[in-house]
Amino acid sequence: MPSSKLAALAFVAVVTIAPRAVAQQAEGYLVERFYPSAPGAGWFVMDALDTRGTFGGAVSLTTGYAYNPLRVGTGASEIRVVSDDAFAGVGMAATYDRFRFYINIVKPLVIDGQSGTFGGYTYTGPAVDLGTHPDTLSDTGFGFDARIYGDPRGPLRLGAGAQVFVPNGQPSDYDTDGRVRGMLRFLVAGDVRWFTYAGHVGVHIRPRDDSPTPGGVLGSELLFGAAVGARIPVGHEPLAVIVGPELWGESAFEAFFQSGATGLEALMTARLESTRAEGPQFRVKLGMGGGLVPELGTPEWRMVIGVEMFGSMPKNKPRSP
Amino acid sequence: MSHVDGRRHFVWGVVGALCVATRVHAQGAPPAAHEDTAFDVMNVLSDHGLHDLDHENWNLYGQTTYISSWHPSFAAPYTNANGSVNSLLPAPEWSFTDSFTVFLAVRLWPGAEAYFVPEVISERAFSGLHGIGGAIQNFELQKTGSVTPQVYMSRAYIRQNIDLGGKLIEHTSQPTQLGRKVKSRRLVLTLGNFSVLDFFDRSSVAWDPRQTFFNMAFMTYASWDFNADARGYTWGGIAELDWDEWSMRIARTASPQNPNVLPIDFRIWEYYGDQVELQHDHVLFGQPGAVRLLGYRNNVNAGRFADAINTFAHDPTKNAAGCAAAGLYNYGSGNVTAPDLCWVRKENDKIGLGINIEQHVTKDLGVFARWMTSDGQTEVDAYNPADRSFAFGATMKGGLWRRPFDVAGTGVALSWISSIHAQYLAMGGVDGFVGDGHLRQGAEGVVEGFYSFNLFKALWLSADYQFMWNPGFNQDRGPLHIFGVRAHAEF
Repeated sequence: MPSSKLAALAFVAVVTIAPRAVAQQAEGYLVERFYPSAPGAGWFVMDALDTRGTFGGAVSLTTGYAYNPLRVGTGASEIRVVSDDAFAGVGMAATYDRFRFYINIVKPLVIDGQSGTFGGYTYTGPAVDLGTHPDTLSDTGFGFDARIYGDPRGPLRLGAGAQVFVPNGQPSDYDTDGRVRGMLRFLVAGDVRWFTYAGHVGVHIRPRDDSPTPGGVLGSELLFGAAVGARIPVGHEPLAVIVGPELWGESAFEAFFQSGATGLEALMTARLESTRAEGPQFRVKLGMGGGLVPELGTPEWRMVIGVEMFGSMPKNKPRSP
Repeated sequence: MSHVDGRRHFVWGVVGALCVATRVHAQGAPPAAHEDTAFDVMNVLSDHGLHDLDHENWNLYGQTTYISSWHPSFAAPYTNANGSVNSLLPAPEWSFTDSFTVFLAVRLWPGAEAYFVPEVISERAFSGLHGIGGAIQNFELQKTGSVTPQVYMSRAYIRQNIDLGGKLIEHTSQPTQLGRKVKSRRLVLTLGNFSVLDFFDRSSVAWDPRQTFFNMAFMTYASWDFNADARGYTWGGIAELDWDEWSMRIARTASPQNPNVLPIDFRIWEYYGDQVELQHDHVLFGQPGAVRLLGYRNNVNAGRFADAINTFAHDPTKNAAGCAAAGLYNYGSGNVTAPDLCWVRKENDKIGLGINIEQHVTKDLGVFARWMTSDGQTEVDAYNPADRSFAFGATMKGGLWRRPFDVAGTGVALSWISSIHAQYLAMGGVDGFVGDGHLRQGAEGVVEGFYSFNLFKALWLSADYQFMWNPGFNQDRGPLHIFGVRAHAEF
């Protein structure tokens, strides 16, 4: 065979085969960026810091859907690695005065996406649904919050919270990092007449670092967020509707506030809640919004629905004999 | 009736007045743990005036159970003959399970309750859970289990109670049951994710396998192939009608996508399991008892033994070893001379009928007997491969020797396979659990005796012995001795 033909064949082989040979498999991770607040905390992600009474508790059910939370590439080369992400979560909390212990358990309902190759990495889209994963749970969060300063209905409340997430599920399903994670947050909240607000800033301690995988986890992150709302009384009952936006985001320390390492998301929220100071209470909440900076797992849009039941024993109530 | 009395009635199985309460317990619901003297979360809160056990809006319970089993070597002229894969290994083996469960219940609106039960389990089975048919030595073993702990949602369902009159009866606070009063005539609708055993065949004599018998043959009818995923849970709906001493319950549940796998097929109108149970509670010589009739019909994606044998007879290339190459779901047999169900799985029916009789002889002593026959034409889809089963036994509380929270029990369980099932196994075929490559058909049997020693009201330590013969319905293998210990705590 002439050497020119051999050279041509070698070139074709290099061009067509070599790129496939070097493509690495991208590992899955926890793509969900909706970190639900503690049961009874009021907002979807922020914490109203209004625990009160003596012994109390809360139960929450939250379900939501996120569209296109993880895309890599652009234009024709874009891969929607996770295009649909729906979940249902149950939370349980025990409260005493200004302290709260809680657990959040999340069940993935649907995690779906595309497979493809980009940037030298092969992505395998997840295919999770209730049929194939009837009892799968993703990371379980155990948390503790405390209101350090302020009254439950005061204009300024300060607090702190910590969470540990025990991994469960399969990284290939994009529902877990497969490693223990943690969060430390400073919390602020307050109520001034009809105006209510909350915010947080903290650290998401995330041992996984998949860089330079495009769209991958980049290690620990700064967490930030804020929410403001108007409290509108409803009728003569002790009910109120709180309407307002909730905004949160994160930025990986590795590429602090740089493109591709920062996500920002906002929800327009409304919640109906009882306003009694004591006894059994409920809260129904709805949020719709989307990614302002749809990167790092932040979806294009999202819808969340939550129900909370909570209550506490009043202080100074005599004990039953 | 005070809740104290109600609990004691429950503990001793007063089926007549509390039959409804006993049968809605979860599989892991222990009766004795929730005496007023028990150290559990709800009792502690109640003792401090922070919770009303009789009118609950919520409750939270938990349990953890560790079971260890060991069998010495036993006689077996052949094991996994000709490339079969389902023999119980004759060398000494150790098996264990370690489970942790949290039971959360919340009242939603009048008559409506929601239940959520996350669970974690770690396990190792004898021989990869192969080689034993209807008498698997530890009821907690799951088909997809592993030594690495797995967290999963075992139950998540809603119940709506519709009172229809009658007298008031008390439901005591229990795992998966809120403490409250209900009418003796009522309709209860359940929807969601649960175990069929949470609602059907609820025995008050062999009540909770985490406190009584270790062997799965005593948990329910061994030959009842009730719909479940590989962990034992499913999705569906149940309607229960209680009318004083009579009860009837019907259920439709989703089946696994393939036999004995975790994924569920939600096409519940195409593939399903239906069960109907009729129960009558009675009092005989002053002691409570109950009779239950249970029928089931599965319409699932499963193979018939006759179809597998005929297919192999007409085309020997359609053997067990060829399944994987053909991309068909199979159990991994490499036997080229055996038929296999992989070639013939399609929509098939399976039916069965059983009866469960239980009777308390004294306040502390109860006896029971269960018998069921299934058609025996179709492979095991969800539970175990027995086609007919019979079990009887007795449990006794330790009141006589002044240890009222101790439990002792003994029982005998037998299970059989149909002639066509035996022919299939004798040709070297395998199903989800058994298939030694050869078969000399016999009834698989087990005799079990256990003693559960109560410590600190909420902790039980148990010792167990099982003598098993004809494992895998094969007279050529065994018998074997199985020794077990259990630690069980409730909180």
